[in-house]
Amino acid sequence: MTRVLSPVAGRAIGLAGVPDPVFAQAMVGPGTAVDPVRAAGRAIAPVTGRIVKLHPHAYVVVDDEDHGVLVHLGIETVKLKGRGFALLAAEGDEVNAGEPVVAWDPVAVEAAGRSPICAVVALDADGGALTRVRADGPVHQGTELFTWV
Amino acid sequence: MTERRVKIKSRVGLHARPAALFVQTAAKAPMEVTVGRDGNDPVNAKSILAVLGLDAHHGEEVTLTAVGDGAEELLNTLEGILTEEEPEHA
Repeated sequence: MTRVLSPVAGRAIGLAGVPDPVFAQAMVGPGTAVDPVRAAGRAIAPVTGRIVKLHPHAYVVVDDEDHGVLVHLGIETVKLKGRGFALLAAEGDEVNAGEPVVAWDPVAVEAAGRSPICAVVALDADGGALTRVRADGPVHQGTELFTWV
Repeated sequence: MTERRVKIKSRVGLHARPAALFVQTAAKAPMEVTVGRDGNDPVNAKSILAVLGLDAHHGEEVTLTAVGDGAEELLNTLEGILTEEEPEHA
């Protein structure tokens, strides 16, 4: 069982609230999304495991149950080409849940014309594999967003 | 085994929407399907984790394989996803 923590503080809105159909229709996988507080911060690892993929705007951490969790910082932020993001870890690193992975600024993302909403997605999971999915209300950084069985 | 070399024309590479569509399509097929980058072991095309981990970019070539009935049609569809060039502003 994997407990998946919120990489950022903000308000849970569910995947349906993501302004990108790829996430909103759960095409990438089931999960939820967080509308982050508008302040510069450091996004954390949602689970304890290995960073198998690390881009400035997105990362994947795989835990010891082979559960891979994608954190996507903002929507279509790949087009910012890393501007406003700083890596605090490296691909291949083992991290504990809660350790900072990427420094970023949702205000700058918004100023660049992109939504800073963060999608947190269980990769290769069946929709029924997630329980206690938080889809509304305020969340702190590190608040449990869902449990993956 | 049917094999196909495909050059990725999607500007975002094999990420985001093309990656999700690619994996969804592959996952519906009954047979084994792989995608590989030169110099790397091919990965399971039905796994979004594996495909995102492949990190194939715009302009790169990948090799698709599928085995059995319908392999040719499936690879046609997958090739179509990878060669669809989304508009610049999308």
